[in-house]
Amino acid sequence: MTAMRPRYRLRSVTPFAALLPMALTVIVAYVGAALWTLKVSFTSSRTFASDNFVGLAQYERLFANERWMLSLHNLAVYGLLFVLACMLIGFLLAVFIDQNVTGEGVLRTIFLYPYAMSFMATGLVWQWLLTPGNGLEQALQQLGFRDVQLDWIIDQNMAIYTIVIATVWQASGLVMAILLAGLRGIDPEIWKAARLDGIPKWRVYLSIVVPMLGATLSTVFLLLAVAVVKLFDAVVAMTQGGPGTASEVPAKFIMDHLFLRSNIGLASAAAVVLLVPVLALLAPYIYARSRAKGRA
Amino acid sequence: MKSRLKLLASPARIGIYAFLASAALFFLLPLYVMLVTSLKSMDEIRSGSVLALPLAATLEPWRQAWSEVCTGAACEGVRAGFWNSVAITVPSTILPIMLGAVNGYALAFWRPRGATLLFGILMVGAFVPVQVMIYPLVRLLATMGLFGSLPAIVLVHLIFGMPVMTMLFRNYYASVPHELYQAARIDGGGFFRVFLQVMLPLSLPIIAVAAIMQVTGVWNDYILGLVFAGRDNLPMTVQLNNVINTTTGSRLYNVNMAATILTALVPLALYFFSGRWFVRGVAAGAVKG
Amino acid sequence: MVHAYRMALAAGLLVAGACSHSAHAGQAAGPTAEVIHWWTSGGESAAVKEIAQAYRAAGGIWVDSAIAGGDQARAVTINRIVGGNPPTAAQFNTSKQFLDAIENGMLNNVDALAARQGWDKALPEAIVNVIKVKGHYYALPLSIHMQTWIWYSQAAFKKAGIAKEPATVDELFAALDKLKAAGIVPLAHGGQSWQETILFSSMLSSVGGKQLYLSVLRDRDQRAIHSDAFKKVLLAYKRLQSYVDAGAPGRNWNDATAMLISGKAGVQIMGDWAKGEFSNAKMAAGTQYGCIPGLGPDAPYLIQGDVFVFPKTSNPSVLKAQELLGNVAVAPATQLAFNRLKGSIPPRSDIDASTLDLCAQKGVQIMKDKARVVGVTEVYLTPDQNGALQDVLTAFWNTRMPVETAQKNIAAALRD
Repeated sequence: MTAMRPRYRLRSVTPFAALLPMALTVIVAYVGAALWTLKVSFTSSRTFASDNFVGLAQYERLFANERWMLSLHNLAVYGLLFVLACMLIGFLLAVFIDQNVTGEGVLRTIFLYPYAMSFMATGLVWQWLLTPGNGLEQALQQLGFRDVQLDWIIDQNMAIYTIVIATVWQASGLVMAILLAGLRGIDPEIWKAARLDGIPKWRVYLSIVVPMLGATLSTVFLLLAVAVVKLFDAVVAMTQGGPGTASEVPAKFIMDHLFLRSNIGLASAAAVVLLVPVLALLAPYIYARSRAKGRA
Repeated sequence: MKSRLKLLASPARIGIYAFLASAALFFLLPLYVMLVTSLKSMDEIRSGSVLALPLAATLEPWRQAWSEVCTGAACEGVRAGFWNSVAITVPSTILPIMLGAVNGYALAFWRPRGATLLFGILMVGAFVPVQVMIYPLVRLLATMGLFGSLPAIVLVHLIFGMPVMTMLFRNYYASVPHELYQAARIDGGGFFRVFLQVMLPLSLPIIAVAAIMQVTGVWNDYILGLVFAGRDNLPMTVQLNNVINTTTGSRLYNVNMAATILTALVPLALYFFSGRWFVRGVAAGAVKG
Repeated sequence: MVHAYRMALAAGLLVAGACSHSAHAGQAAGPTAEVIHWWTSGGESAAVKEIAQAYRAAGGIWVDSAIAGGDQARAVTINRIVGGNPPTAAQFNTSKQFLDAIENGMLNNVDALAARQGWDKALPEAIVNVIKVKGHYYALPLSIHMQTWIWYSQAAFKKAGIAKEPATVDELFAALDKLKAAGIVPLAHGGQSWQETILFSSMLSSVGGKQLYLSVLRDRDQRAIHSDAFKKVLLAYKRLQSYVDAGAPGRNWNDATAMLISGKAGVQIMGDWAKGEFSNAKMAAGTQYGCIPGLGPDAPYLIQGDVFVFPKTSNPSVLKAQELLGNVAVAPATQLAFNRLKGSIPPRSDIDASTLDLCAQKGVQIMKDKARVVGVTEVYLTPDQNGALQDVLTAFWNTRMPVETAQKNIAAALRD
């Protein structure tokens, strides 16, 4: 097998040509922007990029900034919960919809529609629903549950969880759609064979289907991870990073300093710092996957 | 017949429908609030509960949102940007999907030298908040003389869409049986021949997902359209944002909700009609056949 | 399939080409002005339409680029200047937001207009300091807002047995106590950091006085910040929190005003844009709601406002448009119409204020006493310093931070 491949590569230059747009985009746009951001993070740029080098001053200021440190902590907590909840709910929804249920089109649209709506408005709705004295708390109290208190959104320590709820609502549908696409790519023969062997369906899912969905699950995981790091709209719409700065997240910190506070030096430093853990996680992952494919 | 009835009413079946129904309730709750709010008058919203049904339902907010609400000196509602959004979304969906498919195919099967490294950098790039790259991209597009035009915004969407689109297709093709590819190559197929005649027809489910993601992302995009599209091509979301997000003015919540639902109708239609593409066992079937 | 790919590409480029061509066709009559602004609510839209109509009446073509959210609109303005496609004019606040643009030579100056209008003498010092840099004027003031009006609901006051308007800080706290005893939410507040900064500014000017206010915000005097007088201010600020209801965090300012309108709350400290909410609810100043510009006869009057800036260009048709727009915007009729609809007051001191509402007239009267006029935080601080201050204030408000720590953090935030 492996002996055949070098012959393919030498013979055809088409793959390289086909990948040229990607190469250009990566080098000019992404690497170019990354280098520019890195350079600016070492300057005292305010609204515009200046050449006034200040060494690591922006980074020092960054790590002395309580709001930034809190945002990193929030990101970790939020990220873990969000990814787990979305994958679990999305998986269950996909599996259940795949069982030849009636009204699949309607159900699929119901679970997907949150993804279509601008979070500026839906975030506001979730804020209304979860604000004490209004929304769900008021409705439940009127139904007779006098002692119910839904005050997470105004609680310093719990505000971030309300954002988990709203964003899981928004993203699970997409996870469901992707996993459904993956499930639909599985050979129907497997089900027949499993039924003949008398294996219960849930066992088939856990031991056979999930491993087969490996690539799809990793797609979903990566998309969710990207959504976590870029989390911004939801926080702005629901809590504005509050109460106080309790639900601050890195992307909002960066945005605030880029535009509102006209301090692109600090924002660039924050963006660089945000990317470091991403790089640290992603590099070995991609290396491992490329090696795995190579062996196949 | 008897076994079919048994299957329909089995506890497992009931459990499935119960789960789906309760999930549907959770998912529909905010939509209910949005619809109900969009049918109320502002007085009712100010004084009533968020979950209450409207006392005097009115379609006035909807009419205002579509064609009348004032955002700045123009009073045209969100209708103003509709065709601009279409003009931006169509090329910004087709091009990234095509490129993503070709990239994914090349990465999964051909793997030329250095491709995996480029792909790795692309993936890291996916994590960068879009706003961080705006300033350098503005400079870049200004140098190219494109800034503030439709090609500019399409190019920008292409740049930002490439990581996710490429990853979607690459991972999808990674689970397609390798024998399929080798059989096609042995039959004498070159790069594009194998792609167009073998891989692309198999890709319907993932194309559906890619279309859903890209259309939603581009249709709902606000900041990129605002900065790069130029004044004549501003998408619908700019008007939507103007309706929703005034800083020191009063907010019309009913019009907000109506405008949001109106803006979301296009992606929603796509979701509903994309069902036919979630077809079962296409890739597997191809191996047998 | 490749054929389809090529067709799609061609179609895309064709549409793009057509669109860019149509942009250049058909500019014949009158100088065209494209203006970026963030006046997008109902009242604000009506106000900017007055300027647009006046401009059209003077023979120009107005192209409106409304973008909600001040920071978004400013970001677009900056990016378009950098990208080589600037608007004719853009809205900014009376603040240091456009200082960098001036220093980078990106704005045209309006010295001719300033000389003709006598801005050196006619405008308050707070405004001149931000629009005049190195002897040149770079911005055209359009409106003046006062940030720390004390609004109160007459119905709530009557229910709590408060007979007259509070005229000192102590009377204010006494009134708040009476409201609390009557079961009304004393202070309607929206828990967003900019609103907390308004409360702080109100306490700094009322409790601290004009001298301390300027030492802390304009001079950033470290000793003043560490002084006992400033500590008293911070304690008064924190004391206000005990009068706020539990649902305050995240609440929008207009939802807080709604509490006053429905009689659920008694007092709100907010800028004069709140008048729009009262008018929409058909309430009248002086009868159903009241407005107090400050506690004490010489209380500082905190102003902020909007300006137009004119991005640098040497294109003669754009220069003509900028000049025409400048003349239109300083005309008394335009300024009066614009400010009346917006709820602010005109920067010109020679305008007949009798058509403005009761609270605006109070403001115009106070503005005549130049000594009372000071700027809000963003007039003296860069956006970054202002933001850092807001962070400390909102943390102090929402957590159990000791007041000495707050002082220390504010000193650090304002140091550089």
